[in-house]
Amino acid sequence: MEGKQSWMERLDRKRDEIGEKLVQKEINLPTELITGILFLLLGILTLVIMPGQVKVSDTDVVNGRAFPTLLMVVMMICSGIVLVKELYQVFVKKQPLTTKKVNLLVEVKALEILAILVLTYIICAITDLFVIGAVFCSLGFLVYFRCRKVSYYAITLTVAVLIWVAFRFGLGVNF
Amino acid sequence: MLEYIVPALQHLFTLENFLWINIGVFIGSVFAAIPGLSVILCVILFLPFTYRMTAIPGMMFLLGIYCAGGYGGSVSAILINTPGTPHAAATMMDGHPLSRNGRTKAALKIALYASAFGGVFSALMLLFLGPQVAQIAAQLGTAEYFMVCLFGLTIIAGVSGKSMIKGIIAACIGLLISCIGADPMTSYDRFTFGVPRLYLGLDLAICLIGLFALVEVLAKAEKKPGQLILDSKKMNDNGEITKDEFKRMIRPTILSSIIGVLVGIIPGTGASEASWFSYDRAKAMSKHKEEFGHGSVEGIAAAESANNAVTGATLIPLLTMGIPGDGTVAIMLSALMINGLNPGLSLFTTQGDIMYAIMIGLVFVNLFMLLQGTFLTRLFAKVVSIPQEILTPIIVLFCFAGAYSVNKNYFDVGVALIFAVIAWLLRKLDMPPVPILLGMVLGNMTETNFRRALLISNGSPKIFVSSIYCIIFVILTVLAVATLIRSKMKEAKGETKR
Repeated sequence: MEGKQSWMERLDRKRDEIGEKLVQKEINLPTELITGILFLLLGILTLVIMPGQVKVSDTDVVNGRAFPTLLMVVMMICSGIVLVKELYQVFVKKQPLTTKKVNLLVEVKALEILAILVLTYIICAITDLFVIGAVFCSLGFLVYFRCRKVSYYAITLTVAVLIWVAFRFGLGVNF
Repeated sequence: MLEYIVPALQHLFTLENFLWINIGVFIGSVFAAIPGLSVILCVILFLPFTYRMTAIPGMMFLLGIYCAGGYGGSVSAILINTPGTPHAAATMMDGHPLSRNGRTKAALKIALYASAFGGVFSALMLLFLGPQVAQIAAQLGTAEYFMVCLFGLTIIAGVSGKSMIKGIIAACIGLLISCIGADPMTSYDRFTFGVPRLYLGLDLAICLIGLFALVEVLAKAEKKPGQLILDSKKMNDNGEITKDEFKRMIRPTILSSIIGVLVGIIPGTGASEASWFSYDRAKAMSKHKEEFGHGSVEGIAAAESANNAVTGATLIPLLTMGIPGDGTVAIMLSALMINGLNPGLSLFTTQGDIMYAIMIGLVFVNLFMLLQGTFLTRLFAKVVSIPQEILTPIIVLFCFAGAYSVNKNYFDVGVALIFAVIAWLLRKLDMPPVPILLGMVLGNMTETNFRRALLISNGSPKIFVSSIYCIIFVILTVLAVATLIRSKMKEAKGETKR
């Protein structure tokens, strides 16, 4: 346990160092501008790929492209409204862009969590044994939360195995 | 109706059903009591358990979670001034001040009694109104169904976030996702990108695990460490409610239950809207306005009865037309359909015994919630302080196991992860996820009815204003849009003034 603690302490120290650098760093995300451009482009892209992705018959009165096309037109109009509103605010009303503060430390932490999730998924898929991924996931989150309590490790690992048992033997999910 | 009651009671009164009701109520209360865990998340996580159950125990279990979630959220709202679920925020306004005045048990009791009353009232409304609405729904044609879907989507797009336009974009994304897979009318594949697994489309439960559950795990990155500690000394009052307080509770409880039913029946709206609206009404009508915000029994009763009165009402459009009243019951639709129960009038006629068993069961769900709340509230209160270190991996494992168990492959787990990342990015842009959910649920129905209606009319859009029902829904949609735009503009003006 002592060796594990020192390894965890080293990891936590490293994380603290990175955290201290990132905690003050904030990006102002122009949300309305991004929303407008992103969904306008998504609409155009969907309409461009539609002929290749949605086969239709010449005899159809209303074919399979009608509904998605209608949706994309509505989405592009809405994106356009968001964009025009924002540009009007900036250029005519001379007000600043609508932004949202995004803290880099939060985003790095989210990436850490995502890494645990993706690794759990990869372990489960490669080994085809959910319980191994479940143990990794539990340990991963306990380390992420900088947990030092042995009882928490015992409880979480027991519950992880119990979840596998419940699905494997209770619900007949073979994994 | 009466011919179904006796067989329905025979179906309902089994040990298995009552066991599942109680397990559901217990899980729902516990989950909702923990801040950050919502009822929708709980229903998503436990949905796979219903795949091997028959319709009645499966629905009883999910309804147990759903109804108890309405009450459970108030526990943390009263105890630690943090609503367990969003709709408990209105309860917090007076629940926590009353608790601070040394009357924690009394506040919890008021919340419990009001919740149980609202729930039973709503269940009875479902029992009596459901078959009537189904009769009307049976008269609707394809064009009318399309207009109902459009109305539901408009409401949800309008009330889900700060911006109605973003809500509409989110609904369009949900509807587009529902287009992935085989064309419902021609069976040609659409947007499958050569991936054979996508031919059957994306499973709703899998997408929801990513959109609502795994994204909450990613959101842990936003939370500061430290846990919510419950001071157990807080619950040492005798919990007595005076006769005068009981009398004062009656009017707001009844009125808010009616409001809850009316709000719940509108597709797309939910408990949060009902509880805030009822709270405001109760305040406006009270003789003791000065007590609101400082521990008013009327305030707690109004908010709690309203949010539980929504539960049965949201099932009315779901069971009669397949249009969910709110996000949580949208998930229950898959539990119904897996058992071959397709919403509509036939559900009340050919499968009337099962349907009535579920509707009567909802009354018992609320009664068991009252019973468990009376004896187990101290236990529910303790879970408020379950550490995140233990809770988070458990949620993830339930998500992964749930996603895998739908089709027994890891491809679906990957899809859930992709949806979690998408939901995380959308959150950064202040895009609400609920319209995406409703879009996915209503996608197939909206498109099929849209295309069928146009086929019937030879491509003429006039069919969408051809009947009285169509015109009613067009007017309702326009009115809803106008009202929503007006209220958003008022909100924006208010924010600018501040």
